[in-house]
Amino acid sequence: MDSARDEPVLDVRGLRVEYRGDGRSVVGADDVSFSIGAGEVFGLAGESGCGKSTIANAVMRLLKPPAEITAGSIRFQGRDVLALDGRELRAFRWREIAMVFQSAMNSLNPVLTIGEQIGDIFTTHEKLKKRAARERAGELLELVGIDPGRLKAYPHQLSGGMRQRVVIAMAVALRPRLLIMDEPTTALDVVVQQEIMAQIRDLQRELGFSILFITHDMSLMVELSDRMGVMYGGRIVELANAKDLFAKPLHPYTEALMNAFPPLTGPRRELTGLFDAPRTADSCGFHVRCPDDRSDCSANIPDLREVAPGRWVAQSAQGAP
Amino acid sequence: MTHPLLSVRGLTKDFQVGTVFSRRRVRAVDDVSFDLPAGRITALVGESGSGKSTIARCLARLEQPSAGQVLLDGEDVLRTERRRASQVYRRKVQMVFQDPFGSLNPVHRIEHFLARALVVHGHPATGEALRELMTTVGLTEDMLQSYPHELSGGQRQRVAIARALAVRPRLILADEPTSMLDVSVRVGVLNLMRRLREERDIAMLYITHDLGSARYLADTTMVMFAGELVEGGDALAVMDAPAHPYTRLLLSAVPDPERAGSYDPVERARLREAILNPTSCPYGDDGTCSRTEPVRHIVGEDDGQPHWVRCHLRAPASDIARRVLKATDDTEKAETTAA
Repeated sequence: MDSARDEPVLDVRGLRVEYRGDGRSVVGADDVSFSIGAGEVFGLAGESGCGKSTIANAVMRLLKPPAEITAGSIRFQGRDVLALDGRELRAFRWREIAMVFQSAMNSLNPVLTIGEQIGDIFTTHEKLKKRAARERAGELLELVGIDPGRLKAYPHQLSGGMRQRVVIAMAVALRPRLLIMDEPTTALDVVVQQEIMAQIRDLQRELGFSILFITHDMSLMVELSDRMGVMYGGRIVELANAKDLFAKPLHPYTEALMNAFPPLTGPRRELTGLFDAPRTADSCGFHVRCPDDRSDCSANIPDLREVAPGRWVAQSAQGAP
Repeated sequence: MTHPLLSVRGLTKDFQVGTVFSRRRVRAVDDVSFDLPAGRITALVGESGSGKSTIARCLARLEQPSAGQVLLDGEDVLRTERRRASQVYRRKVQMVFQDPFGSLNPVHRIEHFLARALVVHGHPATGEALRELMTTVGLTEDMLQSYPHELSGGQRQRVAIARALAVRPRLILADEPTSMLDVSVRVGVLNLMRRLREERDIAMLYITHDLGSARYLADTTMVMFAGELVEGGDALAVMDAPAHPYTRLLLSAVPDPERAGSYDPVERARLREAILNPTSCPYGDDGTCSRTEPVRHIVGEDDGQPHWVRCHLRAPASDIARRVLKATDDTEKAETTAA
């Protein structure tokens, strides 16, 4: 498996997703490129509607009309994900890439016990007998720090944090190479959020999967991620090592996103929040409040350029970052 | 004598849980007392299940407290209007809920919500009044004709705030008003709340688990854990110099790349155990918490507000001695401490 270590687990190139309506189409993602190495945690940050969930759904091949991938490629360990047929997809999802959805804790079936739901994975995908599946389900619960005795519990008998852990346990049940997490802790309070994040770090250390982590919380993302991209209006506007990006954001939007959260230290000062003018065909929507003279990008968000090794930012050739 | 706008004394709320065969009581709020002064924003922070929403629901009179007093302008409303809140009370105290998607009836236009609130409380629902409400919360007039599903979460939350404002309240209870909103509109709603306090002198109880926003918005912050208030004081002082171990723990849980991994889940489990079954406090090796409940100690004063904490470790030395003396189960140790 040494060759696989050098090769990225996931490689997305020039991905473009359009939502086609009657006579007009909206671009959900535009020219998005990134790769995730083995065991790496890659983050995608941005506000609602920036296209981060669109990317996740594209990678999982979950996009349904009117959404359509109109350009680009998605390769997973060298395989062309966009070319998989229905049968291959069934084997690919969950076993190769698993996903924890936003408010996933509400995705458990309320009329089945936790044990039955986890057991289903093993009876369906590994053709295990019921008793063996139940045993595996118990081991899986232990892995995320829940007493296997809770297999008989129904989802409503568990707290939000526990339900979220069950969902994460289910996602890693078949030992996927890549775990996609779309806002896994958004509905949880800070204490439970910390516990879930610690759990994810432990699991990753133990099982060695890569993570595509999606959230709007920059601080949380920097804590977990190795590298990260910031998305705005369907495009990645900055891509870098997470710590470097947090220490010195180069794109004005990255800075605005970081300042959208009231800080816990320092003097109290008025925050302005993010500008919520939508991006239109002839403006990026954000240029209006850009601190720098970025008249070059009033029409569109420029392409990413490498300004330092591994550090990419959306700016035109002559524009200052 | 002047009263604070709203005073809460000894508020306690028990819930019955379990089946018919194994009934037990859970004490969601345990002997909580605080004041909400007019024109000030008071934040109530704590984790899920700490009882902060139960306090708001008791104050909105959606739950009947098991014990305690709620004094509005010095009058105990639980005594004078025992079963349900009077219209006078509801006119003074309004609530904004967490979920702006669930708190607006989808079959009505925005105009309906605001007009109804105005009419029920005896104000004429003129076009001018409606327009004024919309501009106050930063929405445009034409949205009056919209249905809730046509608005974004942030806009809906603004409608909920406008509806509360329609009755011209003196206190707004805001239960996690921004936690379900997207990051791009959260600060806007916080700024709106601050403006309402400044321009209309409305007092607010801001309930949240987002400590950063509490520090940003509030004048006073109170920290709640396992049904009890454990610390309170000036919003900046509580965050910058937390005195109670739980407050420090809560702060360490806030994501911050500069001190990643400082949160200790084992510590929280021990603290929770200590508060629910006060047989041992993980911090006090002399076991004072097991003999007496900690009382409030003043640890500082900022901006004219006392900064208090309920923790034996922060008690003045003489205070510890007095309370240990009172404890009956360990007189011998009491004598040595007093000496």
